[in-house]
Amino acid sequence: MPSTLEKIRVLGDASKYDICASTASSRTDKYPKLFGDTKSWIGNTVNAGICHSYTPDGRCMSLFKTLYTNKCIYNCKYCFSHSCKRKMSFTPEEYARTFMKLYSMNVVEGVFISSAVCGSADQTTEEMLEVIRLLRFKYNFGGYVHFKCLPGVSQYLLKEAISLSDRISINTEASTKDFLSEIADQKDFNNDILTRQRWLKQIRIKHNDEALKELRDIEQDNKLRYQEKMIKDRREDGYKKFRWDGAPILNSGQTTQFVVGAAENETDYDLLKRIDWGYREIDLRRAYFSSFIPIEGTPLAGKQAASLEREHRLYQSDWLLRIYHYKLKDLEEVFNEEGNLPKGDPKIHLARVYFKDRNPVDPNQASYRELLLVPGIGPISAKRIINLRARKFVFKRRQDLKSVGVVLKRAEPYLLINGHNQTTLNKYFDIINDKVSQREIV
Amino acid sequence: MRKIIEEKDPLEVVGCARGHSYEEFIHNLPRHCNFYPALIQQINKIPEVVLRNSGTPIAKKVNRMMREISKESYRAMQFTRTEINNRGVLFGIVSIKHKVMDRVLNYFHKRWPECIICLYNEHTHKTSTIDEKGIIRKIDSPLKTVVEKASKNRPLIPYFDDIQFSGKEIFETLYSSQFISERENQKYFKKMIPEKCYELPGMRSGIEKRFRNKRINDFI
Repeated sequence: MPSTLEKIRVLGDASKYDICASTASSRTDKYPKLFGDTKSWIGNTVNAGICHSYTPDGRCMSLFKTLYTNKCIYNCKYCFSHSCKRKMSFTPEEYARTFMKLYSMNVVEGVFISSAVCGSADQTTEEMLEVIRLLRFKYNFGGYVHFKCLPGVSQYLLKEAISLSDRISINTEASTKDFLSEIADQKDFNNDILTRQRWLKQIRIKHNDEALKELRDIEQDNKLRYQEKMIKDRREDGYKKFRWDGAPILNSGQTTQFVVGAAENETDYDLLKRIDWGYREIDLRRAYFSSFIPIEGTPLAGKQAASLEREHRLYQSDWLLRIYHYKLKDLEEVFNEEGNLPKGDPKIHLARVYFKDRNPVDPNQASYRELLLVPGIGPISAKRIINLRARKFVFKRRQDLKSVGVVLKRAEPYLLINGHNQTTLNKYFDIINDKVSQREIV
Repeated sequence: MRKIIEEKDPLEVVGCARGHSYEEFIHNLPRHCNFYPALIQQINKIPEVVLRNSGTPIAKKVNRMMREISKESYRAMQFTRTEINNRGVLFGIVSIKHKVMDRVLNYFHKRWPECIICLYNEHTHKTSTIDEKGIIRKIDSPLKTVVEKASKNRPLIPYFDDIQFSGKEIFETLYSSQFISERENQKYFKKMIPEKCYELPGMRSGIEKRFRNKRINDFI
């Protein structure tokens, strides 16, 4: 029988490729009976999350992140479970106690419970839920819980998981059915993954509706009607209007993760198309990308690792879709022939394409959309510019723009400040070269 | 209300510019260890837009002071390591220069509302406590004595009794299991971890021993 320490070593090592480390949750304790009747809860959530330590790869380590078990019925080609000969499982009590100990030491902020599929998805999920029940009802833990949903799990278990967690995620792993069958041929892409993601969205909306109605009856508070609207409101393109909608149940929404570079020929465009679908159809909060790393003893051990830079470009593009409200159609212009993103910041590539035949923009006249196209201007600084213009403020100096948060180093080539445009370094060299060549001719 | 906003200089309107408002400065600056009352009079003479954008040496100074205050309390919340006994007394050691102990105590109080929190400040050699009702006290005794006194009349709480084992090794194991060697990023790691933390559970051995971060040490 392995000790708890041995289990943490083996099962913690197996879960490290799950990238999500966020503990941000805007759930408040004003909702009565959220997890049942109790006098007071131990632990709370913080809007922006807190990192209690960092690993040498620079990643924040704020969650107690280990697998519940590494015994698996699946045979995914990229997965560590091929290489790990020592199979073991926690018991629910052991898992909950260990976590509470670490929480009392202020070294973790919440729990991230994931697992391999032992026996069946329902059987393993039932045991994982037992851990969360112990935490919520025995130890009165009211802090952050991230629950990893297993492929093919039943709806009734999902319902319970949603009511007890802050965030739920299902790993999509690949962008399409074909790519998934290439790396994990036992999983049914449509049924095991996409259907579960759709259920998560439906159950979340339904549960929150009920919770808010109940609360409205108790408190007679009209602000709650606005809260209900926030949960359902959508942008024109189908994305959720408010990313943080203040929902009492499953506040941090659902996320997913992709293995980048494991499937042959899977392009960045395929991945972005899938997450674009996710934002529109299943209210995805965000997506995580994990660069494929070959693990000894797996069928893909000989395959080359995917570059971390590719992963970074995908995060940047995802940011453009999610925060900057770009459309996937806009991004299509920067993909290369194979459908991958070129080296360098995608926003700068887009700006080069957009401003090729257009004049630099004047911050005193440009629309919000145009301002967002300028590298160095993000949604917050663009909103500040619009806000100030509405109050009849005129931007005349570089300093004015700097004071609202514009990164001038990147923005200047695309801006007209007081009627002038800062030339790029290339243009400067062109002028110098022209002068030199003219002198030589003379 | 709208009238007032429209009459103001646009950059002074909260939400249109970065930095802090006058109220925030007045409320928070007295927390700084180098604060002197004349500073408030000095900043009252500076227009808000200049203050927000660090436009003068004084504005720069007060913005730096504000940053130091918020950083110190945040770092204390991040890196203070605590223990809990079976009577529900949570205790730990901090090294806080500015007057932010109340923020740190309240952070722990929100997490452990039914516990008494005792934090010993290495800088002032005093122990601060917060009880279940949220009342803060400063005691001139060492941590051990304060914890013993606080635990004396409290009943044994079963679920705290359940977690009376050493977590040091557990955290060390968890910490080392999470590292992906292919992603090693020494520069970022060095920036984020204070030297003090190497003495804490989980930080003694392993790859992280190679680094020392002098800049961040002041916060702990």
